Amino acid sequence: MISTATSGIKKNRMDWLLFFSVLALLTIGTLAIFSSVAVLPNQIRIVRTHLIAIPLGFAVFAVVWRLNYQIFQDQWKFIYGAVLLALVGVLFFGVVDKGSRSWYHLPFFSIQPSEFSRIGLILVIANYLDKRIGKIKEFSVVFGALMLSLPVFLLLIKQPDFSAILITLPIILIMLFAAGANPFHLAVILGYSFISALFPILWTIINLNPELLDSPLVSYFFHLSNFGWSSLTFVFGVGAAAYLLWILSVKLYSNISGVFFGGAALVLILGFFSGVMVEHQMKEYQQKRLEVFLSPESDPRGAGYNLLQARIAIGSGGVLGKGIFSGTQSRLGFIPERHTDFILAVVGEEMGFWGTMLVMGLYVIILSRIRTCANLARDRFGYLVNCGIFGMFMVYFFINSGMLLGLSPVAGVPLPLLSYGGSNLVATLISLGLVQSIYARRYALV
Amino acid sequence: MIERGISQDRMNLLWGLVAVVSLVFVLRLVSLQIIMHAHYREIAERNKTQILPQAAPRGRIYTRDSAAVATNKPSFSLIYFPGAVKSVDDINLMARSLSQRLNIPFDALSAALYKAVKRGAPVRLAENLSLKAMFSLSELKTIYSGIDIIVEARRYYPFGNYLSHVIGYISKMDAAEWAVYGRDKNYGMDARVGKAGLEKMYERNLKGKDGGIYLEVDSRGKLNRILESRKWQPGSDIYLTIDSKIQSAAEEGLKKSNTGKGAVVAIDPRSGAVLAMASMPDYDPNRFVSNSEEKTADNLKELPEFNVAVQGTYPPASIFKIISSIAGLDSGKIDPAETFLCPGYFDAGSRVFKCWDKKGHGKVDFLNGMAKSCDVYYYNLGIKTGPLNIEKYARMFRLGMPTGIPLPDEKSGNVFGPSKRAARKSYWFIGDTLNLSIGQGETLVTPIQLAQLASAVASRGAFWRPYYVDYVMDAEGQTTFKSRPEKISQVELKESTWALIKEGMREVVLEGTGQTVRIDGVEIFGKTGTAQNPHGKDHAWFVAYAQLPGKEPEVAVAVLVEHGEHGASAAVPIAKAVILAALRDRLSGGPDTVKISTSAGEGR
Repeated sequence: MISTATSGIKKNRMDWLLFFSVLALLTIGTLAIFSSVAVLPNQIRIVRTHLIAIPLGFAVFAVVWRLNYQIFQDQWKFIYGAVLLALVGVLFFGVVDKGSRSWYHLPFFSIQPSEFSRIGLILVIANYLDKRIGKIKEFSVVFGALMLSLPVFLLLIKQPDFSAILITLPIILIMLFAAGANPFHLAVILGYSFISALFPILWTIINLNPELLDSPLVSYFFHLSNFGWSSLTFVFGVGAAAYLLWILSVKLYSNISGVFFGGAALVLILGFFSGVMVEHQMKEYQQKRLEVFLSPESDPRGAGYNLLQARIAIGSGGVLGKGIFSGTQSRLGFIPERHTDFILAVVGEEMGFWGTMLVMGLYVIILSRIRTCANLARDRFGYLVNCGIFGMFMVYFFINSGMLLGLSPVAGVPLPLLSYGGSNLVATLISLGLVQSIYARRYALV
Repeated sequence: MIERGISQDRMNLLWGLVAVVSLVFVLRLVSLQIIMHAHYREIAERNKTQILPQAAPRGRIYTRDSAAVATNKPSFSLIYFPGAVKSVDDINLMARSLSQRLNIPFDALSAALYKAVKRGAPVRLAENLSLKAMFSLSELKTIYSGIDIIVEARRYYPFGNYLSHVIGYISKMDAAEWAVYGRDKNYGMDARVGKAGLEKMYERNLKGKDGGIYLEVDSRGKLNRILESRKWQPGSDIYLTIDSKIQSAAEEGLKKSNTGKGAVVAIDPRSGAVLAMASMPDYDPNRFVSNSEEKTADNLKELPEFNVAVQGTYPPASIFKIISSIAGLDSGKIDPAETFLCPGYFDAGSRVFKCWDKKGHGKVDFLNGMAKSCDVYYYNLGIKTGPLNIEKYARMFRLGMPTGIPLPDEKSGNVFGPSKRAARKSYWFIGDTLNLSIGQGETLVTPIQLAQLASAVASRGAFWRPYYVDYVMDAEGQTTFKSRPEKISQVELKESTWALIKEGMREVVLEGTGQTVRIDGVEIFGKTGTAQNPHGKDHAWFVAYAQLPGKEPEVAVAVLVEHGEHGASAAVPIAKAVILAALRDRLSGGPDTVKISTSAGEGR
């Protein structure tokens, strides 16, 4: 085995299957982008940016691939600092686009630091988990990892860039999960973040639909957003309910520990408190952005228009599609954000079932190769980094495709390698450079 | 790999999740792109095409002498194609600047725009744009997407009020009409349909096949390109039996009369073809072609849609003496030479009935009684003939029955007599007999019934169903409908009765109450009437028919001037003008002689 392995070292410095899958996806994406922007007034700018981003991305990809990825572990403090600095800087020097201050404006193109901060955070968390792998089953490690990423999240909320949070938080949880963290701890974290996000989201929804307030339950719930008697009753109600359930389980001679009930109540109450905090901390523009995020179809035609149009585009493509540059749905502007978040609808319309299947197949190949590279990594850090990148592709894939197929709610999330977006493309190619770098150094003996 | 201290199980679990979710995605793709493909393809097709219907020209309406009384002219409409992304602010902004230029209230415009956006269908914001409005709008076209101007055929009535009660008018559909026409694909929501008269009765013939522009539009509703332009097919033309000269004479006569209200019906006694039908007050049907719904509603409120000629019922008054005479003569109860004394009143025992002329007519025989319209003569005639007989003849001459002219809501009037009283289990008094025989009391007739009566006398008992549409010709020149005269009934009377009644009516014109109608070279037979009206001034009647010497009667006419007081003074000149118009070009002496004789007639 060793002899065959050593003979393979020099030949395969690169996972070619992964590389060519990426290349194929980029080709399809570029065609779809060109087709969908062909009738847009700002097509020149989009095509130019895309054509700058591709070679730039591959240059960075090559650099990262040639570098020993272990440098990133050594320099984690520097990376962490750079991520925070970039995110803080953008709040001061960034330009506002679509309600978010998340862009550095440069002469030829703009840079979105949140895209790069995701890769940086994966490296930082991978290093953190690598160092504490022995105590991974303890809550302190899970908590520590979250504390480490908390500043990044706070800065993202400040912009606000909800879609970046939507992608990054699951990546952290997937890395913790892959590293072997206690599922109960992860459930607590998941529950906590779910609840603290749920409360403001529900309140915003009620704000958007004031007629819901007619129901007394909804009205009570809405009053919780201000600290007052109703909040106090809520806290005591949750505590009492948890206590009664615990008593009940003791009486039933079940083996469920009291920690379980206490933890659940604590998560609920803490989640509630941070939800209220978030609600009150949110500035008006952030509130507005959340509303748009929750109901992007705020146009006179009513709910679900955009998604419906995307579904019509995909469905009307049929088996073979309408032909590249011939999709009526995309070219006549029925699909919103057609070159970014809804690019898969353009592929579905113009390249049909086989086109969409090809994209999904390539995505599954990429995910499969990243998993293989993780398994082949020569150290734990490489393995964890690969897990993070695997999680990133997975989350993008699930959320974006699920949304277009009508299986998950609307969210402004692109599909990497396919969607237009210079920063996202370069950041994605950096992550793939990391995977290749880890692959290239797979067999070195410890 | 043990040296990593991490089990790969967790990664394998995540990998499993990817496999399961991918499978779900593939199944969903199969459902969307293969199973439901046809459905979504259709929606996508509909998405990108919008049909902008272009109203086909309605069929034209011509009179017998080829005057177009209803036609079309090109009109420019402002169209809005709704788009996908139009915010409330955008719509308001657009509505505001459009309302300034179009002079349409902002609320109405923005409501129309919202509706269009919600339905996703193009809407007409304004029609029949003025040249000035077109210029200022073409400027806006470049600023606001979705706004465009198209050309359409628009109904136009060149003579305004002319013949309005026969032509009717068109307007937007109401809910009930939509329920009927909506099933027909040829009718769009904003199509106009006939609401009265010919426009209503011949709606399906007049309406052509609408054309349409099939447009490829983008999501903002902005016109991308024209896919196909389907040419419209004009509706069928209708040719009337109505003669424009006779109709003008009738309308002008009515307008010039002392009240300007009433009706004139002229019928060809040989076929029942209506030569003229005027009803005052009338209206201008052009008013309803307007786009503004409010304006149309305003117009409707004051619309004199009431067609006096077929819907107005009045006591026939002395005109009824024709029936009484026929009843007396034909039943043999009255000898035309028999005379009655008219001292100016008639003593019916319990009550005294007056003659219209208080001085009295002295000894009166039939011809005299008819010519002078002596009431006392007819009181005696009535008593001798018997009310039952008179009622019978009234029914024979189809009073109390609609004539069957194809116009909506024709009234049947009323005949009263002993048999009707008996049916109602009421009593008949001598006074009723007297009233019946001079056409007062409960008898009610419509102008067209009296025109038909004159026509029946002229044609010796032939009752034709009055008709006014001669034929209908479709756009290819094919005659799709041709009216054939339809004889409803034939009244058989003794030859002597016909001769006497004719002589009596001739006597009215020569020696009696209707002398002013005389035209040299034309034989006119007539009867005047003055209907007592308890609510105001009396109504003036005149019925007549005319023939060239030695020829068949060619025109029968009934004139009613509401509150015109005396039939002789108010109604007769109108009838004269109508008869003159009908026969002028065939008078032997040529137009000049006619003119002279006209002035001579008026000199009396």
